[in-house]
Amino acid sequence: MIRLEHVSRRWPEFSIRDVTLEVREGQYLAIVGPTGAGKTLLLELLLGIHNPDQGRIFLGGEDVTLLPPEKRGIGMVYQDYLLFPHLNVEQNLAFGLRYRQGNRESGRQKVRETARLLGIDHLMHRYQYTLSGGEKQRVAIGRALVTEPRVLLLDEPLSALDRSTARRLRTELKSLHRSKKLTILHVTHDLAEARQMGDSIALINDGELDFLGAAADLLRRPPTLFAANFVGAVNVYQARLEGEDGERRVVAGPIVAQPGAANPSGRHTGMPHLIVHPDEVGLLSGETAPGPNLLRGEIVGIADEGNYVEVVIRIDDLPEPLTVYISRQSARDRMPELGASVTADVGNAIHVLYE
Amino acid sequence: MNSFRYRQVSAFSHLLVFIPLSIVFLLFGRYAIAAAILAAGILAARLAGKPRRRKNDRPLIVFSILGGILILFIVLPILNLLFTTEPSRILAMARDSSVESALFLTLGAAGVATLISLVFGIPLGYVLAREQFAGKAAVEGIVDMPVVIPHTIAGIALLFIFGRAGIVGAPLNASFNVILSDSFWGIVLAMVFVGMPFVVNHARDGFLKVDPRMENVARSLGASLLSAFFRVTIPLTWRALLSGAIMTWARAISEFGSVAVIAYYPRTINTLLFEWYNFFGYTYTKPLAALLLLVALTIFVALRAVPRLTRAEHDQT
Repeated sequence: MIRLEHVSRRWPEFSIRDVTLEVREGQYLAIVGPTGAGKTLLLELLLGIHNPDQGRIFLGGEDVTLLPPEKRGIGMVYQDYLLFPHLNVEQNLAFGLRYRQGNRESGRQKVRETARLLGIDHLMHRYQYTLSGGEKQRVAIGRALVTEPRVLLLDEPLSALDRSTARRLRTELKSLHRSKKLTILHVTHDLAEARQMGDSIALINDGELDFLGAAADLLRRPPTLFAANFVGAVNVYQARLEGEDGERRVVAGPIVAQPGAANPSGRHTGMPHLIVHPDEVGLLSGETAPGPNLLRGEIVGIADEGNYVEVVIRIDDLPEPLTVYISRQSARDRMPELGASVTADVGNAIHVLYE
Repeated sequence: MNSFRYRQVSAFSHLLVFIPLSIVFLLFGRYAIAAAILAAGILAARLAGKPRRRKNDRPLIVFSILGGILILFIVLPILNLLFTTEPSRILAMARDSSVESALFLTLGAAGVATLISLVFGIPLGYVLAREQFAGKAAVEGIVDMPVVIPHTIAGIALLFIFGRAGIVGAPLNASFNVILSDSFWGIVLAMVFVGMPFVVNHARDGFLKVDPRMENVARSLGASLLSAFFRVTIPLTWRALLSGAIMTWARAISEFGSVAVIAYYPRTINTLLFEWYNFFGYTYTKPLAALLLLVALTIFVALRAVPRLTRAEHDQT
C-alpha cells in the first residue's frame, strides 16, 4: 500500500536519512521513537507537506513522490486536533466533501454516518472551544474519515488526552481499523501504546529507521543498542568474539552465547553485545554442578514490582550485576533472600547484537 | 494567569484614563462633568477590586500617573478642538463645495490605496509569515521603510519615477497619455507608499498566528494551497487584515507631505487645510480642522468596533 524507498530529506537542523519502509493494505503500523526523532516529519513527508531530496514514495503502486498533499488521499490527524475554529463540528466534518465527487445529499449522509460511528452526532452544531479533548480528537478523526482516505496518519493522537479517555479512544481506533479496513500509521513516543495498537512497529531514531517488524521481535531481539535501550532492556553487556571462524562464540565474562543466538538482522560489524532476558533466567538455590551459563552469585537486591519480583545478582567476572525477574508464584514458594548465594541458569536467554 | 494580581493592578490603573479626562473637562470649565468622571473613576477602581495596597505596588501608581500625562497630551488638543468650535460653523463648513469635493477625493483615494495595498500586501505578508529565505530580513526592513522616510522626500522620490519625466511616468505619458503627477492616481500612489506597511505587517502577524499545520490538515482533506488559504487561513485572520486595512486607510487619509509633492492638485482635504491655513490663518481654518477630526474619529471608532462586535470565541487563540 505504502512504500518508501530510500527516502531522505535534509533540513538545516535535522534530516531524515534513507528510510525504506513498506506498509501493507489494512496494516496498523505504529511508528515509535523518542521526542525529536523525526516521526512527525516522516508523516509529513508521506502526506506531501515536504518533498524528499532523494528516494521515492509509492501509494498503492502509484509514484506519489512529487504529488501535492491534496492529490494523495491521505488523512492526517494531529495530537492537538487542529479543528478549524471558525467552523462548527458539522462543518469541520464536511470540510473535505467539496473536493470529492458525489452530490450534496450523499455528502450529508456521509457526515451523519461518520458522526454516529464516532459518537459525536450530538455535537454537530458546537464549536471546538466547547468540546473536551476526547471529543475534539473524535471530530478530527471523523473529519479525516469523511473523505475516505487511502491511508490515515495519526500523529500522537492520544498524547494530549487524559488516561481514561485515551484508553477508550485506543479501543475505538482499533475497532475502527478493523471495521473500516483502514491502513493506519500511528506515531507515538509511548512504546506500550505502540505495542497495543500496532500490528507491527517501526522504531525511528534521529531520522533513521532503526527497526521494522513485530513488537515481540523488537522486545526480544533489538537490533541496536538504541533499540535495546528504548525498549528498556536490562542486562546489556559488552562482549567479545572468541574462537575460530565457524566456531565463533560471543562471550561476556562467564556468559557464552551459542552461535545460533546471533543477530537476525545479519549485521555483524562493530562490537558484539550480549543481552540476557531477565524473565527467562532460572534461579537455582545453593550449590549446583558447574555447567555452561550456570552463574554463581550473591543476591544484592530484591524489588517487588507487582506482577513479578526483580532479583539482582552480583556475579564474579560480570561488570554489571545480572537482573532476573521471577514470577510471583515462584517467589511465594521460595522467597529469595538478600545475601543468599544462588545460581542463575541463563541457558539460551541471550540475544546478541553488534554495534 | 494570576488573576488576583491582575485585578490589583487594574484597580488603580483606572487613574490612567479617568484623571486626564476629568482634567480636560476641568480646563474647559465643565466642572460637573469633570467631577462625574472622577467619581466614576473612583467607583470603577473600587468595583474592580478592593486590593490591599502593598508598598511594592507604588511604582505602578507612579507609572499610571506618568502614562496618564501622555494620554492627556493626546486627548487635550483633540477635545479642545472639538469642544471650542461652534457646531453651526462645523456644519456650514461641511456644506462648502470645495470642502465636500476635497473630502470625497481624500476618502476615495485612500480607499483605492487601501484596496491596492491589500491586493499586493496580503500575499507579501503570507510569504513573509510562511517562508524562510535569504534576504528575508532585508525585505521586512524595506516594508517598514516608508514609515521612517520623511514623507516629502518620499514624494520627491516617487516623482522621479512616476512624474512626467520619470522612468515609469514618461512612457505612461507617451504611450497611454496617463499623467500621474497632479492627478487622482498620483494621490493614490503616494498613499499606497505611506500606508502599505500597515497591511503587510498586520497580515504577516495574523498569518503567523495560524498554525501552518492547520493548512496541512486542510490540504490532507483535499484542499489546494489556495483553497486552504481562502477557506481556513483568511477566515482566521480577517480581524488582523481588517485592522491592517483600517490603519492603512487612516494613514492614507492623513497623508499630506508626499501627496502635496506629487499631486498638489486636485486638492485633498489636507492640502486644502494647509492652503487655507496659509492664506486665511488659524481662526478661519479651525472649523474645517474640527470637521476633519470628527470624520476621522468617526471612521476610526466605527471600524475599530466592527471586530469587537462579532464573536471572538471562534478565533484561534
